[in-house]
Amino acid sequence: MTDAFLADAQSVGNLWHYVGKLLRLRWVIFYSGFRRAKLRGKIGTIVLGLLVLGGLAFAFTLSFLLLRLLRSPGLEQFIGDTGLLLAGVPVLIVSAAFVGILLTSFGVLLQALYLAGDMDFLLSAPVPLRAIFIAKLLQAILPNFSLILLFGLPVLYGLGASEGYNVLYYPLVLLVLALLALAAAGLASLLVMAVVRVFPARRVAEVLGFLVAILSFTCSQSGQFVRFSNISNDQATRAFTLLNHLNSPWSPLAWSGRSLVDIGEGRWLSGIGLLLLTLVLTGGVFALSLATAERLYYSGWARVQVSTRKKRAIHTRRPVAAQDRELTAAVNRAIPSALRAIVVKDFLMLRRDIRNMSQLVTPIIMGIVYALLLIRSGGQPPAGRGEAPPAVMELMKNLMVYGNVGISLFVSWLLLSRLAMMGFSQEGKNYWLLKTAPVSTATLLSAKYLVAYLPTLVLSWGFLVAISLVQRASLGTLAFSLVVVALTIAGTAGLNLTFGVVGANFDWEDPRRISQGSAGCLSALASMVFLVISLGLFFGPAVLIKSLGGSEAFSQLIGLALGGAASLACAFIPLWLVRRRVSRLGEA
Amino acid sequence: MNDTGNPPLIETKNLVKHFGDKIAVNNVSFEVYEGEIFGFLGPNGAGKTTTIKMIVGLLQPTSGTVKVAGYDVQTQPLLAKASNGYVPDTPNLYPKLSGRELLRFVGDLYELDHQRVERRIDELLNLFDLDQAGDDPIDSYSHGMQQKTALAAALMHDPRVLVLDEPTVGLDPRSARMIKDMLRQMANRGAAVFLSTHILEIAERMCDRIGIIDKGELIAVGTMAELRSLGKGETSLEDIFLSLTGGAEYAEIAEVLR
Repeated sequence: MTDAFLADAQSVGNLWHYVGKLLRLRWVIFYSGFRRAKLRGKIGTIVLGLLVLGGLAFAFTLSFLLLRLLRSPGLEQFIGDTGLLLAGVPVLIVSAAFVGILLTSFGVLLQALYLAGDMDFLLSAPVPLRAIFIAKLLQAILPNFSLILLFGLPVLYGLGASEGYNVLYYPLVLLVLALLALAAAGLASLLVMAVVRVFPARRVAEVLGFLVAILSFTCSQSGQFVRFSNISNDQATRAFTLLNHLNSPWSPLAWSGRSLVDIGEGRWLSGIGLLLLTLVLTGGVFALSLATAERLYYSGWARVQVSTRKKRAIHTRRPVAAQDRELTAAVNRAIPSALRAIVVKDFLMLRRDIRNMSQLVTPIIMGIVYALLLIRSGGQPPAGRGEAPPAVMELMKNLMVYGNVGISLFVSWLLLSRLAMMGFSQEGKNYWLLKTAPVSTATLLSAKYLVAYLPTLVLSWGFLVAISLVQRASLGTLAFSLVVVALTIAGTAGLNLTFGVVGANFDWEDPRRISQGSAGCLSALASMVFLVISLGLFFGPAVLIKSLGGSEAFSQLIGLALGGAASLACAFIPLWLVRRRVSRLGEA
Repeated sequence: MNDTGNPPLIETKNLVKHFGDKIAVNNVSFEVYEGEIFGFLGPNGAGKTTTIKMIVGLLQPTSGTVKVAGYDVQTQPLLAKASNGYVPDTPNLYPKLSGRELLRFVGDLYELDHQRVERRIDELLNLFDLDQAGDDPIDSYSHGMQQKTALAAALMHDPRVLVLDEPTVGLDPRSARMIKDMLRQMANRGAAVFLSTHILEIAERMCDRIGIIDKGELIAVGTMAELRSLGKGETSLEDIFLSLTGGAEYAEIAEVLR
């Protein structure tokens, strides 16, 4: 390689040429992936593109409605002067964009710098280090920046149009958003390096994935409790005052928004002053972050972890008491050691891999939300417009007695779609260990069945008992419900595990991407249909005979016989039908 | 039986494997006897790993039979697998288990007595110099440590047949030497060791007999002396291998480039 080439590669003038090259490489990877994708994948990408366009149209409509609402006299009566609120809109959007990009870039940069695996290749190529970092930062920003433009720009431009802002306002909005995005990404890169210095990158990614999944799911479900119709004037005013606090003259984030409003309204001196301050601050933060991040990464500072974990002491085995020995021996005799080993191993893997936890915690959150809603309703069916005949209301009331069973089974349905449906797939590339071991199909199926069935049963019974205690259900109803839940879960687990065998996928890296193909959807559908039918068989006789004035105990016995037979059939027959497939799993 | 009266512990007969239209393994037959180290060589994509996967029960042959310790892998899979120990080329192990937990899991899969499992774990962790890391999760292990853990797992039940796919890849010279010594000890104790490798020096020095597979077909089997007699006067295994698998022309190209 010539000196001239090296000098050329290192010159600042050519920096953006290399950045362009690296970004073009990303585009080539995306385009090549799209071109070689199966037809289904191509259609999916096109549909996604159309959805984004639909989102754009939605954002425009939303901003139009929002601005009309802000100018409405009704709102003025409700919260007072809207002028302050309108002036705070750019500050709000710009601040949200900064914080949003800072948080989302953290995850993307963690992946791009430490987990993607292409950094070593890029660093060994004759490409300036700075170009690599800028390309990585742009890569982290671009998707989120597009989203922010998608939702923020219509509002900001709509505001400018409605308030008659100066024409300079429009390009400056773009410039300010871009600078803030760069500064946020720069800070995110430093944050990534500080965190990776202490914790392993893969572990951080796992925890981050778990937190994001749980937080977004909790936020989406918390909407169930909000009663917007009950919001008072006072509460609304307080919420808007809180928004105005963002527009503090001492907040650097507010300077950028205020500069836009001031320039838009023709207050040139303060507007240009604040804009210059924003330019210097964001540019400085970006340049400083970039230089520091490069140095920290290249020097290896961020790769050398400071161990925060204490070395575990070596456990000395305490002598086992004779009673314990007998108990262990009895358990060993009762349960084949291979079956026990697979069950214990699966529980350990599920508990320790935090990436699994978001999928396992989701059903619990759903269960808690719906249990609270049921308890809040007081176990009474919704009255509607009060036109339903009394007989129907009585039937509904009898059915509501078993509402707790419905919630418990809903939780179990969600949980089993993970534990049973993915029981085999979760083995992933480690499946060779089981396949080369002398483990029979029956043992393997039994172990996977127990791994799905036991925790689901415990959790569902926990929900059932808790709700029944709050609702003060009778002991007889509780006992009947416990048996119903145990049997129904047995059937659902059998069905899900069967689909798990049929659609087993061992080729994955991230447990959140285990599910592949149509088996998952079919499994969810089939188990839902089974749930409806089995509940009809369990509760149909109980509700009907009770409504007709018959004996409750007798009706429950009939229900148990019918529903129990259906559940046990679903627990065993589908698995028996796919037993031959088990020995061929992993041979694709 | 071979000349010394030892029975075959691995026996393949007319083994064939198709993947769609592609023939990965074609009519492969060989035996590996008690007390023998058998080296399995071949260029990339020749069918080595496919053959190994059929021996250990990971793949069903399209036709032909495989017997391990006298048991048919297809009709008596549990008995055949109970005699086998397998180390794959890529040691995919449960990343969230510790080395100790993994070995305990494997011991239980092979239905070993609890006390024997614990004793064996301590022995193997000590042997492979993993006793300090035994309680750490496997995802914190280096490639070499994972390779050694996979080997320890294969040895948990003291198998009569040991099948290894590229066992020395990623190991430091000390560990590689230790594994080579251990394989020889196992063979001396009467086990059959079947290993595939690209390092011809290892095959030449360690293996009692060598099989060479190319394009799915077994093109040569025998001791070093027997392989030499097949060639055109070559003395080293490398030359014999290149002569048989058609790689000798690359040496000429390299000469021209020089």
